[in-house]
Amino acid sequence: MIQVENLHFSYTKVPFIQNMNFAVHSGEIFGFLGPSGAGKSTVQKILTGLIGTYQGNVLVQNREVKHPHKDFYETIGVDFEFPSLYEKLTARENLRFFASLYKKTLPLEPLLESVGLASEADKKVAEYSKGMKSRLNFIKSLVHEPQLLFLDEPTSGLDPSNARLVKDLILEQKAKGRTIILTTHNMFDATELCDRVAFIVDGSIRALDSPRNLIMKRGAHQISYTYQSEGLEHQRNVGLSTTADDMMLQMLIKENHLLSIHSSEPNLNDIFSELTGRRLQ
Amino acid sequence: MRNRALFFGDIRFQWKYGFYFLYLVFTLLYLMILQLLPSAWKPKVAMLLVFSDPAAMGLFFMGAIIQLEKGEHTLQSLSVSPVRSHEYVLSKLFSLGLLATLVALCLATAGKLLDHPMHFILVVFAGSCIFSSIGMMIATKTETLNQFIVATIPMELVINLPAVAYVLGYNHPLMLLHPGCCIMELILFGERMVLASLSLSFWAIGLFLLTIHVVEGFFSTLGGAKK
Repeated sequence: MIQVENLHFSYTKVPFIQNMNFAVHSGEIFGFLGPSGAGKSTVQKILTGLIGTYQGNVLVQNREVKHPHKDFYETIGVDFEFPSLYEKLTARENLRFFASLYKKTLPLEPLLESVGLASEADKKVAEYSKGMKSRLNFIKSLVHEPQLLFLDEPTSGLDPSNARLVKDLILEQKAKGRTIILTTHNMFDATELCDRVAFIVDGSIRALDSPRNLIMKRGAHQISYTYQSEGLEHQRNVGLSTTADDMMLQMLIKENHLLSIHSSEPNLNDIFSELTGRRLQ
Repeated sequence: MRNRALFFGDIRFQWKYGFYFLYLVFTLLYLMILQLLPSAWKPKVAMLLVFSDPAAMGLFFMGAIIQLEKGEHTLQSLSVSPVRSHEYVLSKLFSLGLLATLVALCLATAGKLLDHPMHFILVVFAGSCIFSSIGMMIATKTETLNQFIVATIPMELVINLPAVAYVLGYNHPLMLLHPGCCIMELILFGERMVLASLSLSFWAIGLFLLTIHVVEGFFSTLGGAKK
C-alpha cells in the first residue's frame, strides 16, 4: 500500500526528514510514535500528497505520491487531531457537506449511530462537547469509505467508554481490509491497535517492529509477586530465569497463598525512552 | 457535481454565519443614504456605493470567510479531499459575487443607474471577483483577523482612491490600467468601453489565476497534524 525509500525532506536548508525507509502493507494498522516536532506531521503531509518537493521514492497505492492519480483523494480519509468542522452547522449538515465532495458515500445515519450521535445530529457543532466533536470528526473521515485512513490521535479528548467505541471502530475498519496510519503519543492505543509501530525522532525512524516484538526483545527480566504473612502484605521480585529456584514462590503456589503475580515487561514508552532518550508522554 | 456542492456549501456557510444579514444591513443603510440625497447627486453616489460594495465589502468579507474557515480548521479537511484549488476559488468567487451583484442591483435601481442591466451585472460581478481574489490572497497570508484587517487597509486605499478620483473627473486614459477605474468607466457607459473591458478582463483573469496559485501553495501548508 505504501512504500517509502530513502526519503529526505526539509522546509529549510537544515536537514529534517532523513533517509526514511518503511513499507505499510494492505490491511495493516501502522503507528507513528514520536514527540511533537519529530516529523510525524511532515511525513503525513508527504503521504497525503500535500508536499511534493521531497527526495526519494514515496509510493502510495503503487504510484509516486507527488504525482497522485485523479481519484487519489477519493481513496484516502484523514482524521485530524483537532476537529475540522463548521461550528455553526449541525453535525448532519457537516457530514452531508463533506460527503457531497466525494463520488461515493456511505449512508449518514448508520455512521452517526455508530458513534452514538444519531440523536444529537441536528444540534449545531458549536454546542457539542470536545468528545462529541472528536467522534464526529472521526466518522467524517469514513464518509466516503476510504481504503487508506490517516488517524491522528483519534482517542484524544474521549472518555474511556467513547475511546473504546472509537478503537473498536478502528479495528472494524481493519477487519474490512482498510489500511490505517495511526499517529499517536498514546502508547496504550499503539500497543493495542497497531500491527507495527515506527518510533520517529528528529526526522528519522529509530525503531520499527510490532509492539509485541519490541516488548519481547527487551524481555520481561523479572516477575514480582505479593503474599500475606503475619497480617502484612509483602512483595518479592525474582529473576525470570530463576523462578524455579525461588522456594518461597514454590511454597506460595503450592499453598495457594499468592495475592498477585505478574511479569514486568517494559511498555512502549519505556522502550521509546531507552532507544531515543525521549519520553512519549 | 463537486462544483455545485461547493457552491451551495458556500452559500449555506455565508447564510449561517450571518454574511447575508450583514449585506442586508449595509444595503438598507445605503438605500437610506440614497433616499436622503438630492436627486441630482443620486447617480454618482449610487455609483460609488455600488463600487464600494464589491470592492470594500467583497475584499473584506472574503477575508473574513477564509479566516473563519482557518479558525475552524475546515480547510485542513478540504486540502485532503478531492476539491482542487481552482474549484475552491471559483466557488468562493461565484457565491460572494452573486451576493455582491444582488446588492448592487438594488442600489443601482434606487440610484437610477440601471439602463443596461446585463452589462451592469457583468461589470459588477467581474469587479467582485477581482476584489474578492485580492481578499482571498491576503487572507491566506495572514494568521488572524486583526492581521488581515491591517493588511487590507493599504489595499483598500489603492483600490478605492483612483476609482473615486475617476468619478470625480480625473479620468486620464491611463487611469484605465486600474481595475477600479475600469469598473467606473463601464458602469458610466463611457467612451472608452473597449479599453476598460479589456483591462478589466485582464485583471479578472490574471488575479483569478494568481489566486489559484496562492491557494494551491496555501493548501500545501495545511493537512499536517498540528497546524
